[in-house]
Amino acid sequence: MADRRRVNGPGGITVPPIYEAEDLPLPDRSRQPNGIRAQYLKTGVTPSASGSAYLEIEPQNGSVSKGMKLTCTVHGPRSLPRSAPFSPHMVLSTHVKFAPFATRQRRGYLRDSSERDLSTHLETALRGALIADRWPKSGVDVIVTIIEGDQARQVAVEQGIEEWDMMNVLGGCITVAAAALADAGIDCVDTVSGGVAALVPGKDGEEPVMVLDPVPSEHEEILAACCVAYLPSRDEITNLWLKGSLSSDANLQRMLIARAVHASKGSSQAVAASLTEAALAG
Amino acid sequence: MASQQILFSPAELAYLHRSLSLKPPIRPDGRAPTQFRPLTAETGILPGTNGSARVHFSDGTEAIVGVKAEIEKTIEAPRAEESKPESNEAASERTRGDWLELAVEIPGQRDDEASTVFLSEMLREALLADKEFAKKLFINRRFHWRLYLDVLLISPPLSYPLPLLSLTTHLALLATRLPRLKSEGDEDPMFDDDWEASTFLYPQEGTATNGSRPPITLLVVAIGDNVIFDPAKEELAVAETALAVSVAEVRRAQKAGDMEVDSKGRELSLLSIRTIDPPSRLTPPGVPHTSNTGSSAFAPTKLQKAGDQETEGVWKAPLGGTKFGVLDGIIQAVLEKGGVADEVLDGLEGVELS
Amino acid sequence: MAAVDDIPSTALPGKVLGPTSRFAPGAGTHIFEGNVVSSLMGRVTIIPPAKAPGPAKRLNKITAPTVEELATITVSRHGSKHEILPDVDNIVLARVVRLMPRQAIVVIQQVGETVLQTEWQGVIRVQDVRATEKDKVKIYESFKPGDIVRAQVISLGDQANYYLSTASNELGVIMAISEAGNDMVPVSWKEYKDAETGISEPRKVAKPS
Repeated sequence: MADRRRVNGPGGITVPPIYEAEDLPLPDRSRQPNGIRAQYLKTGVTPSASGSAYLEIEPQNGSVSKGMKLTCTVHGPRSLPRSAPFSPHMVLSTHVKFAPFATRQRRGYLRDSSERDLSTHLETALRGALIADRWPKSGVDVIVTIIEGDQARQVAVEQGIEEWDMMNVLGGCITVAAAALADAGIDCVDTVSGGVAALVPGKDGEEPVMVLDPVPSEHEEILAACCVAYLPSRDEITNLWLKGSLSSDANLQRMLIARAVHASKGSSQAVAASLTEAALAG
Repeated sequence: MASQQILFSPAELAYLHRSLSLKPPIRPDGRAPTQFRPLTAETGILPGTNGSARVHFSDGTEAIVGVKAEIEKTIEAPRAEESKPESNEAASERTRGDWLELAVEIPGQRDDEASTVFLSEMLREALLADKEFAKKLFINRRFHWRLYLDVLLISPPLSYPLPLLSLTTHLALLATRLPRLKSEGDEDPMFDDDWEASTFLYPQEGTATNGSRPPITLLVVAIGDNVIFDPAKEELAVAETALAVSVAEVRRAQKAGDMEVDSKGRELSLLSIRTIDPPSRLTPPGVPHTSNTGSSAFAPTKLQKAGDQETEGVWKAPLGGTKFGVLDGIIQAVLEKGGVADEVLDGLEGVELS
Repeated sequence: MAAVDDIPSTALPGKVLGPTSRFAPGAGTHIFEGNVVSSLMGRVTIIPPAKAPGPAKRLNKITAPTVEELATITVSRHGSKHEILPDVDNIVLARVVRLMPRQAIVVIQQVGETVLQTEWQGVIRVQDVRATEKDKVKIYESFKPGDIVRAQVISLGDQANYYLSTASNELGVIMAISEAGNDMVPVSWKEYKDAETGISEPRKVAKPS
């Protein structure tokens, strides 16, 4: 006898929707190995914050890559909480958060371990650039939100891609945070910018090639990748993150770092152009 | 890491930095620049685990690692309707990094604190970097092992615990044994009850020893022109750059017994590099805060010359990044044939696995 | 100055502005490898050396060559607020929030001419209230909560407070409200008077300028 008093579920079983696999051929990288995607940067997007910036990395035509959208707000310098110990420097705290809808897999509101990991990387990258002793006893919060991660629905199913995406995200975070810090008027030795390079297998079993600004879904496999935070006018690296399996050939990892530095030089030019515009306007 | 207070005065820091920048550097504990702290290690200390290890450093820090393995059903990808049966080879390619769960516990720190997460991600990343590790957990197309690696620091964190935790993890993985599989193919797995018959996750002998071995992560700092391995707390406090470099030995097809004779022929592969925020950036400067150009209302009347110039013998926290050459020098020092990584691996090989 | 022409009008952090042999670093700049380098994003301003040579005097004493003759470069953003911090020797305006037997807790609201975005807590200890007869100072006879005080920063202090001092004629309470709730006027170096009720209240009065 059916229960008439309650709203019953459907009689039969239900299955979660399975989206039809859009059987796109695995898109290839249409850019040159040494080309990076176009970037759009705007500062001062959040009026209530001391400094803010918005960075958009252009989606590629005909590619599964949906580009990336990040915002960063900088709050401070402001007084430290009463419980904090005396600091002769500015205390930097960084938060990186994916919007719940930024990636294929929904992110919760609590920061998960990959987000915490990213914020530690970002902190290292920024701390090298800050002139922290100009601001004693004060704290600054740098909050980066990834509005849209660089992940297409159908390809991220393939495992292992997400991990490599983290490098691209970190590169974007570094660039956008540096612009927001400049907008906030916090002393930095240089405008730090992020760059990513990867080692991917060559076409038709050729030697592996190095590409700048890799989009993981455009490659079958990524052998190794490297993300640097680079100070262009000082020619110094504040954060280096490299992973992957590299043989003992010393030149390979040296080349990879050099390529990543090259990529960050590219994005630093874009940042510089946009910041100069903002400096003239403001 | 940033939350750790540095309890050195500027004068102490200046002294440490001076003596560590000399050629050769004079380390506070008298070690050579490439020398590790002496350690005692044992394996198989926890009977309830698949593998365990304990390492005790001479400075009083101690860590234990327990490895537990569980069988888990492999969740098939939603696109599993493909009719063509995959070969076992191809299926084992579809391994996932999340089959490994790694947790680090540091006394006095929350386990979701950024520095703890950073440590565990670093250890995890090194293990999974070459994609070989997850393949070891593959049973058949329907089942896999799920490995829980619990890393416990059981002493207070007197120095940056990364090398200690990494070495302990390395030993625990070497000592990890999984029950021998009795079933075949894709049927539900059946295992041999006899623990004596169990197989090592990283086989000890025979042709199966080929492939990569568990990684070790070395903490290396650059002070002045010197590259210093396994820094103690005092050395880290004045370091200009700190890198965590993970390397693993890759064994190629070689005749058995070749290893002992020619231990210098070890092939190392680089798995990951991470910059660690050196705590030196948060140290108090030795010069008085003579001016603050931030306060533009008054600054123009004052010259801030003294504040920006480095004075000999007065400590000033390092500013800016690291030159490419310095980073490269560190990496070369790690990968050097017969270098520190070799030495450490030699030492760890001497630990008896039970 | 002859060398001014090659200086860019705007700068980003990391932009080299000129050698230290010709320029002195001002606000928003730092020195790196012998150059004055911008550390902020904004417009570059060059302040010529503040020297008044006047008629050339006869040399009658030997003076060390001064470094003051360099032009100062500053970088700042026009038309936008720039947060600054209280620093030692700065004159600040603060509001008294709480009194204790040994000290008064204040909140710094203005440094020099700049109104702050964030509030910084400061403390005036009993020995820093005035320069003479320090042993006879009573906090309750020097300040009341709500008073506006002109004070000088003497130390960055501890974790929570800047240490302030009012030990000077020009420093002390500049605005006070009586217990009846009326504005008061200073009548002596230690008294404010309510003009309506005629009641005097003790304060550490700042000399009106």
